[in-house]
Amino acid sequence: MIPLEKTNNFLVPNGTFWVELIAFAIMFYILAKYIVPPINRAMTARQDAIRKQFTDLDQAKADAQSAEEEFRAQIADARHEAARIREEAREQGAAIIAEMREQAQAEASRIVEHAHSQLEADRQQAVTSLRAEVGSLATDLAGRIVGEALEDQARQSRVVDRFLADLEAQESAQEPVK
Amino acid sequence: MTGFAPLEIHITPGEHPTREWFGLTVNIDTVISTVVAGAIVLLLGFLVRRMLTRETADHVPTKLQIIWESVVGEVNKQVEDNLGKVHPFVAPLAISLFFFILIANWLELVPSEFGPGRLHALPAPTSDTNLTYAMAIFAVVSVWVFGIRTKGFKGYFSHFVQPYPVLLPLNVLEELVKPVTLALRLFGNIFAGGIMLALIAAIPWYAGMPIANVLWKLFDMAIGGLQAFIFALLTVLYFAMAGAGHDDHEEHETPPVTDPTDQQREAHEKQPVPAA
Repeated sequence: MIPLEKTNNFLVPNGTFWVELIAFAIMFYILAKYIVPPINRAMTARQDAIRKQFTDLDQAKADAQSAEEEFRAQIADARHEAARIREEAREQGAAIIAEMREQAQAEASRIVEHAHSQLEADRQQAVTSLRAEVGSLATDLAGRIVGEALEDQARQSRVVDRFLADLEAQESAQEPVK
Repeated sequence: MTGFAPLEIHITPGEHPTREWFGLTVNIDTVISTVVAGAIVLLLGFLVRRMLTRETADHVPTKLQIIWESVVGEVNKQVEDNLGKVHPFVAPLAISLFFFILIANWLELVPSEFGPGRLHALPAPTSDTNLTYAMAIFAVVSVWVFGIRTKGFKGYFSHFVQPYPVLLPLNVLEELVKPVTLALRLFGNIFAGGIMLALIAAIPWYAGMPIANVLWKLFDMAIGGLQAFIFALLTVLYFAMAGAGHDDHEEHETPPVTDPTDQQREAHEKQPVPAA
């Protein structure tokens, strides 16, 4: 058993002081050299990592914002494009309708024209045949009534022409009135 | 066991089993518990060092890491506030003092009295003035060396005659009293805690010894932490006083720098602590 020393003022240091001083110095040296620096390094490293994460976050936020803006711009572009195409289609439709209407109009007027000329030709034909038949018929009738045979061809045609001329003159005189 | 009533209270304050080493009387129990406390501090330190060097992807610190880092961060902040920068000698010294004194104080709580003579195998080494004197003188001599190296021999000693030469004795006395107050404050607190534990141990169990024991030990833990903190903080402040100079203007020239980086660090440090 370790003997207890009875006569010792505990406020006065003894040889233990030097042992304790050396022990503390050794512990301090080891802590200061091997333990504290890595802790400091780790703390700064973690701070750096956190700071980096913050900047990364900001960067990502900015990226997302710009992407959203781009997206909005593209949407707006697409809307514009769609509106433009619709407008174009409407214009094209109107143009087609106008063209078709014009064509139809032209066709109609062509048909009308054709009908007019047909009519004119028919009339001309009718006039020609009339002139041929009405002459002989009229002279026949006139000959019978007058008793004078109008065999003479020359005279006959002269009479007919005069009659027709009279008729035409009458017609043209009446025309403005109509 | 003491039985139902103690026949005698056997408390021998300040008595240590001794050995003679190289002609010096050495308190062997203090030396043993110092070695134990130092070994615990170094063990925790090397454990945390191993955790730090291990590369983890998420940078999440372990609990032991958080303990060390909050202490190191707090000491660094104190040193930076008082000295203007994290001094490579002062900060580790304060950290070492804090952790070693803390563990040494808490050794008192380990029930380690046994044997016929009630030999206390692991008394708090801080309840022996030899250790507290040693640490205090180590700290104060470091302060003196720091002061002389920072301001020069003349610059340092000129502050003993400031603001009036007549105050020279008081200034010298103050400087000499520093290690004594540091040492005896710590010693007194822890020594008294040990005596209280011995007295409480003499209370019969039916009179509430276990309850009193637990309550006092909890309180003693708080005292141990507080004394460790005070010792470390006062050491930093002595360094600051030695480096700051005799007139107050110099102190204001270097106000504590708090740039956003520091605030971020503090905010980050404070966050994980409650999770521990």
